[in-house]
Amino acid sequence: MERTGVKRLRVGLVSWAHVHAPAIARTLAALPQVAFTGSFDETGPRREGRTHATLEALLSESDAVVVASTNTAHRRYTLAAASAGVHVLCEKPLATTVADARAMIDACRRSGVQLGVALPVRSSPAMLALKDAVGRGTLGTIRAIRAANPGQYPGGWFGDPAEAGGGAAMDHTVHVADALRWLLGDEVVRVYAELGAFLYGLPVEDCGLLTLDLRGGAFASIDCSWSRPATYPTWGGVTLHVVGDRGTVDVDVFRQSLTHYDDAAGAVKLVGWGDDLTALMIGGFVDAILAGRTVPITGEDGLRSLEVVVAAYRSAALGRPVRISEVA
Amino acid sequence: MRSVSLRIGVIGTGFAGSTHARACTGLSSVRLTAIAAATAAEAEPLAVELGARAEADAATLCAREDVDLVVVASPTYLHAEHVIAAAHAGKQVFCEKPIARTIEDARAMVAACDAAGVRLAIGHVVRFFPEYRRAKELLDAGAIGRAAVVTLTRGTLSVGAARAWYLDPAKSGGVVLDLMLHDLDALRWWFGEPDHVYGKRLAGAGALDYALATVRYVDRPMVQLEASWAEHGGFRTTYEIRGERGMLVHDSRAVSPFVVHSPTAQGGASVIPAPTLRETPYRRQLRDLIERLGRGEPPLVDGREGLRSLALGLAVLESADRDEVVPWSVPA
Repeated sequence: MERTGVKRLRVGLVSWAHVHAPAIARTLAALPQVAFTGSFDETGPRREGRTHATLEALLSESDAVVVASTNTAHRRYTLAAASAGVHVLCEKPLATTVADARAMIDACRRSGVQLGVALPVRSSPAMLALKDAVGRGTLGTIRAIRAANPGQYPGGWFGDPAEAGGGAAMDHTVHVADALRWLLGDEVVRVYAELGAFLYGLPVEDCGLLTLDLRGGAFASIDCSWSRPATYPTWGGVTLHVVGDRGTVDVDVFRQSLTHYDDAAGAVKLVGWGDDLTALMIGGFVDAILAGRTVPITGEDGLRSLEVVVAAYRSAALGRPVRISEVA
Repeated sequence: MRSVSLRIGVIGTGFAGSTHARACTGLSSVRLTAIAAATAAEAEPLAVELGARAEADAATLCAREDVDLVVVASPTYLHAEHVIAAAHAGKQVFCEKPIARTIEDARAMVAACDAAGVRLAIGHVVRFFPEYRRAKELLDAGAIGRAAVVTLTRGTLSVGAARAWYLDPAKSGGVVLDLMLHDLDALRWWFGEPDHVYGKRLAGAGALDYALATVRYVDRPMVQLEASWAEHGGFRTTYEIRGERGMLVHDSRAVSPFVVHSPTAQGGASVIPAPTLRETPYRRQLRDLIERLGRGEPPLVDGREGLRSLALGLAVLESADRDEVVPWSVPA
């Protein structure tokens, strides 16, 4: 539905591979500042909405695309979009190797398009409240953070190293790693990780515990495991226990939910009713493009959080903490 | 008039000492005969309250004829002196955790009790908390299969009321030997001996002592531990154990069956809340020891076991101090 007088960005969806793709498509169709140009998927049209037979067709009608492909395909699609002069909001992690991430950043810069990364945690009102409290000094200096982003195993290509580039650590680490950098205005300088493939018989890790050192002296842990069992009442969650020298904060990003005891399904489910972080995140990206501002989470941000993941794999292989400078 | 089979003397009147002394009073066939602290005046109020005699010092208490079991709940760095005095006097000994501040002290305590032919029990009371016992029963029964990833947290706010020695890491070991040690002991009890540890701890310590540790077993599980003296929300314990076929989750904030709200009730954030059970874990611990002593059996957690858990806590501290991974091997 066209509305006159409202500036809208034409945005398409590249690939339905990611589990987030349906929510992204719904969001693109619903956001008032977006004209959803439909989708392209190399396995053929398989979802509702307008589909394009070729990537080029989608790109030719779009100002920006959201790339929701497998992780290792991010580079290919982002480079294609950049050379067509189309802005990119890329699913997380930005890439699976530092070289791929750099190539994507360089290609977008050369083409004069913006590269954003789909990390919704920064959009959470609870996280914004935390950032505000940290900024005001309410908590004093932040000294330590215990964070967790555990979830159920997403299945499919997420357990295939060729398409995912790793397992739970590749899938989940970047949400909290990015949030920590943003929250503290600091950078991770060293990573220690324990990884293990214990639960699903996968060739990639399904359990991971990371410990991070930040340049400013704070330290943090991240549980990135696919540890939520099938009977868990929701997909997982993001929690932070933040320790400052004048106070502590507990953040549970998805705590706002009601409990649904569902006899028909034989299950208990948590039904979230908090703000739609996908809509806030995509809206923030689109608003920045429309206003000619830098997008909220850039390709460089995506590279920084990816470096944490790469250092985690190196650490687990070596059995010692690994400095970011060893993998950057 | 009940028959008294065991007479107990308690050294220490802080949180642990007063808890153990009160635990004695509810047990049949037990009599609390004496209490000692740094001075008789310090021991007096609790002794009067519980109908025991306030002794001038630990040595005098250990020398009493009418003490069969000495409960050592003095500051950590004094455990060795008091346990060894009790052993030399031929008393059975219960010592609050950590067994000692150093492995050397712990070894001397074990040796003294062995030489005197007395039992030494260490108060790793978490093994008597039902939420941790039930977890062990479920784990042992294979209810969730092999554990893969485990998180354990324990926090309180240790400011103001805490005594000076407690805030001095050289004397107490700080939050790692105070709080994390409970969970490190629980890990050993649940899963056996780990492979290596990686610890992080706030430098400067004091009241803001806070630590994270990663403990890895050969193969599995991997464990994240948090211990905090900066828990402004009040005392809290949690665990999460994810196994192949399910998960066990505990949060002490979510299980209180009795909550008071009133305009006059104070938050009491730093107070460890009394578990709402007919018999507290502290009393269960003492009763279990007394029953075992009566049957001529060793304590559930003896001196050697307490020494091993201490060594794991010291490994976490060593890792944090050296800022590197520390391999773990059971001390000889």
